[in-house]
Formats: sequence, structure tokens, C-alpha cells
Amino acid sequence: MSTDQAIDATPTATPLAVRFQGWGTAITLVAVWALLIAATGLYRPDFFAHQTVLAIAFTMSIVGVLAIGQGIIGISGGFIDLSQPACLILTSLIAVRLSEAGLPLPLVFVGAVLVGMVWGAFNATIVVLAKLNPVIVTLATNFIGLAALYLVFQLAQVPNGSEIYHMGRASFLGLPVIWWPMLVLIIIVGFLMRYTRYGRRITAVGGNRFAAQARGISLKKTRFATFMAAGGFVGFAAVLFASAAGPFNPSSASTMQLNVIAAVILAGISLAGGRGSFWMLLLSVGFLSTIPTSLVFFGLSSDTQSIFQGILLMIAVAIDGYRARRGTP
Amino acid sequence: MRNSVRAFALMALSVPVLIGLAGVAEAQDKFKLGMMVGGNTCCEWMKAQGDVARALAEKMGWDYVELSNNNDPATALKNAQIMVQEGVDAAIQFNGQPSTNPAISAVMKAANIPIVTYDIADPGMYFVGIDNLAAGIAGGEQLGKIMKEKWNCEPDLVISSEGAGAGIVNEWRTGGMRTGVKNICPDIPAEKYISFEGSGDAAVALPAARDLLAANPNAVKMAVVGINDGGVLGLINAAEQLGRADEVIGWGQDGAFITGDNVNPHLAGSVFYFLEGYAVYAIKDVIGPIAEGKEVALKADAGDPASKVQPCPVSAEQAKAVPDMPERVAQLLAAPAGTTEYDLFCLNK
Repeated sequence: MSTDQAIDATPTATPLAVRFQGWGTAITLVAVWALLIAATGLYRPDFFAHQTVLAIAFTMSIVGVLAIGQGIIGISGGFIDLSQPACLILTSLIAVRLSEAGLPLPLVFVGAVLVGMVWGAFNATIVVLAKLNPVIVTLATNFIGLAALYLVFQLAQVPNGSEIYHMGRASFLGLPVIWWPMLVLIIIVGFLMRYTRYGRRITAVGGNRFAAQARGISLKKTRFATFMAAGGFVGFAAVLFASAAGPFNPSSASTMQLNVIAAVILAGISLAGGRGSFWMLLLSVGFLSTIPTSLVFFGLSSDTQSIFQGILLMIAVAIDGYRARRGTP
Repeated sequence: MRNSVRAFALMALSVPVLIGLAGVAEAQDKFKLGMMVGGNTCCEWMKAQGDVARALAEKMGWDYVELSNNNDPATALKNAQIMVQEGVDAAIQFNGQPSTNPAISAVMKAANIPIVTYDIADPGMYFVGIDNLAAGIAGGEQLGKIMKEKWNCEPDLVISSEGAGAGIVNEWRTGGMRTGVKNICPDIPAEKYISFEGSGDAAVALPAARDLLAANPNAVKMAVVGINDGGVLGLINAAEQLGRADEVIGWGQDGAFITGDNVNPHLAGSVFYFLEGYAVYAIKDVIGPIAEGKEVALKADAGDPASKVQPCPVSAEQAKAVPDMPERVAQLLAAPAGTTEYDLFCLNK
């Protein structure tokens, strides 16, 4: 039996606890989300309308895909990728330029994803080869990237009436077209992370890198691939962003970062690495995307959402810290 | 022989010294203009303001120094101190985050350097800029006329896309647009005026705009005003995503998205300030006379400015005749001295 096979065949240390904890997180998230929806619906019955579903689903789409990338970095022990805003804007700009050049939508996706992967490789090269703290490295590359983008462009938008423009406004089965790729990606990545060798390697590296190394897993290769994959997801999210956002500038994505990190933590994906389920992202992203919409229905200003999101982030980080101290998944 | 060599060496050495001294003397005689551009990446015109000032300064034969405020008040103050060290004779600034304006004013006053401020007034600075309130009212009245013709002044909502970070400028422009709408349609009930924070950025405004539309599902006829075109576009894009764009008419400010071949059909018009060309006004009415040694009375009030920029409301149809910004800048710099973009391009004089 090879080392890889041994890892694949090795059951997790506490499978029942993992499953129970996973369900516990899911039940908590569903309960809080349902409570929020019920309270808003009681106050304003017109909350239960298709327009509300559309508004929330649009908000979920981009944050959800970004959260996959952030989650992969977190679960692999890379903590956080703070360079997502710069990568998102860079790849959105690529998407705009490719659309302006008349390329079909699939090629726009390919171009943006590839550039996102190159960005991830750049981060990985510094983190893995120079052995520097990924938080500091990605913070720095975000600054560098945004500064460079400021020099390149001021405003960009996809051409009105183009294929990508219509994608950002179209619906399918009553939900935004850009919501469906987010759903499919979360399901696929959740499956890959749980049931494939590569997914288990990423989790193993994040959980205990010494043990993973002892089992023959290359930390460098795994982390490199993880950063590249995360960059690719940002590139994918960028096409959705460019299609829906209208005109954007280099600082247009800065406000998303907190939401994405909060979604990852609320989903139970540990930023310290080694545990979490990507399927939970559907619930955490949905819950976080419902909050601002509910606030508006309650007659509160959209500015107040930052207060609620800040509080939620603190609670989520506290829960993550509690889980880490208890050693529970 | 030895004396000849010494004389020759002395002459040879004296030539570069004399050239250097002459250069220093000329540089000291040359008027030096300092420009502190806004540095907010939101808007192309901020960079263009520096480009135009540089070109005009070169035309005048002046030295020119440019720094970026990076849309940051502390950086703006540091830049003012650098301008003093650089020994500029006069300075121009656009400071979109004006909390440090009093400190900047004090620094420049202590160094006896006159300073022009664009669009945001300070008691110690020459004010050159748009009458933001007049611009807001002009845009609002144009939108009001469309509402009167199309909806008989009976909209379901008049939505304001605010940009609270801009402070009083937001109140003048966005509030001015509401005033303009009321001038044409005075009987719209107060509860039909609602606002959301759009930060003057279409992408940032989008989620909040979607939420606002979702919370007003029965609104059919919606008019949108805002601090700039970007903020208004945020709501229009949200309406497109929720399948309600046909019910929305927007009128923006600043003209950023009303020209070119990518204009949203629901943006009915905007108000041009021709922001990139402000240096023409500053040099014509303030800096030029100072460079000639004339006394220029300090006019720091937006109501009684040192030089007033005229707002130019244009419909989307009219805007098709207005060239894009690079072309406008090219034509402005080719025009006789003192010609403004309002003179060259405004169809509603």
C-alpha cells in the first residue's frame, strides 16, 4: 500500500464527532437564518417575495465563490488570503478587456481563471519558497497589486449589451444566472475536499503539517497548488463580478473582504487549518447576504450592516478560537 | 607658458561655473506652480486635472511640481509641507477629504504661498469651482421636466444615491437635485423621497440598491438622483438585475458615464463640470495675475468665488455631441488661452 493510499484509506480520527459537529454548525446556521427571515417576514410580509430572493441571491453569488478560495487557503493552514481584492479587480479587468476584444464567454472565464492562478502562484512562490507568513505576504501583494492597478486604469466596465453583460442580469429558474455556478462550485469543491485524495491532502497539511510530511505529503507542492486553486476561484468570481457590477475601479472590491472571511469562519472552516465543510458555505453566505436586505426591510440604513457584520465576525472568530482551544472540529 | 596654461585652465573652469550660475538665476526667476491632485482612483478627471495644469504651466514657461493627495487628508497636509520645501510660488489643490484644509491653509499662509482650492472651500484659499448647489438644482430640474412629461409628476419614488463621505458636496449636489425636482414637481409627497448610501461608486452601491428595490416591490415609476453618475448607475444596474429597469429614469452629476459608446439607456442625462479643465479658470483669474506680480484679492467663498465654473446639464442625446475626456483635453489645450471647456462644449449655455 502506497503512502497516498494509506492516507486515503485512513479514517479521520473522530468521524462521529466530525459528523455531529458538522450537523451542529449546519443546524445552528439554519436556525439563525430562519429566525432572521421569520422576524423580517413578520415585520414586513412583503419580504417573502421573489424580488427579495433575487436581491439575496445576487449578493451570494460573488461572495460565495470568493469564500471557496478563501476556505481552501484556510483549511490548508494558510490562514487568510488578504490579496483577494487586488486579484479580483485584476482578473475582472482581464474579463472586461477580453470581452471588449469580442471573445466568447467561455474564453473570458478561462482567461480570468488562468490569470487568477498566476496571481496565486505569485503568492505561493513567496510564501512557500521564502517561507514567509502568508497573511503578511498576501497583505503586501494586495497593496502592490492595487497600487499597480491604480496606474493601469481608473474605471472599467463590460460592454453594454455584450454576452457577459447579459449574464450579469439574466435569471434561470427564478434565480440569477450567476448564482448557479456558485452553487455548483460549492457542491463540487465540498465533494472533492471530502472524498478525494487531493482534498484530504489539503486538509491533512492544514491539520498537522508534521504528520502530513511524515506520511510523504509534499507541503510545498500542496500549498503551491492550494494558492493557485484559490487564485483560480477568485478569477472565476471576477467574471461574475465584472458581469454584474457595472463600472468598477481598483477599490471597488475592498468592501467584500470582511464578508468573505466572516462567511468562511461561520461555515466552520478553521482558519488555523485542518477542518471544515465547504457545503456549509451555502448556509453562511446565504445568512450573511440576508442580513443587509433584512435591515433595509426593517427601515435601517444600509450603513448599519457594517455594524452587524463586524459583530458577527467577532462572534465567529470567538467560536473559531473556542473550537481550536477545545480541540473540537 | 605656465601662465598661459593657468589662464586657459581658469577660463575652462569658469565656463561651467558661469553656466551653472546663469541656470540657477534663471530657475530662481522662473515662476513655479505646485499642483496637488486629488488622487482618488474613482475618477479619471482627478489625474487629468494635473495633466491640464502641467500643460498650461509649460505653455506659460513656468516650472511645475505635482504631488498626489491619494484621497487622504494626512497625505494632503504632508504634500503642502513638501510644496513649501520645493519653494513653489503658488499652489493648486483638489482635496476630496478636506478635514486638513485649515492646517494646509495655515502652512501655506506661513510660507506666504497663495493656494487655490478646487470645489471645496476654505477661508484661507482662493476658491475655484463649480457651484455644486446650482449644478444639483440644474440636474434636478432637467429630471423633473422628464418626470412631468412622462409621469405627470407622479412618481412612486424619488431615490437619492448619497455619497456621505463627500460631506457638504453631497448635500449640495444630491440635495440640490431633490430641490430641482421639487421646483418642477412641487407636489410629490415627502415620503416618496428615499435615500441609500451609494458611496458614489456603481459597484459599491449595487448591493444596497438591490436591497432598497426589494424593500419597495410596488414602486413602478422611479426617478434616481445622486452625487455622481456612478452612484446613479448603481441603482440602474440593480433595477436591471431585478427586472425593473424599464421603471427607472436616472440623472447623474459629473458627466463621467454620459459620453462614449457604453452609455446606459436608463441614464437620461448628467451635469458636466468639465472638471479636468479647472486649471484654465485658476490660471486665468488667480495664478496668472499673481505670476505677473499683481495683487489678487482672496475670494474664498463658494458663493463669491475667485473663479466660478459653470455647470452644464446635458441629456444623453446631447451628450453624444460632446467628445470624450482625452479629446476634450486635447481641444482645450489647442484653444486660445483662457478658453474654457464650457465655452467649447456646452450645448445648454
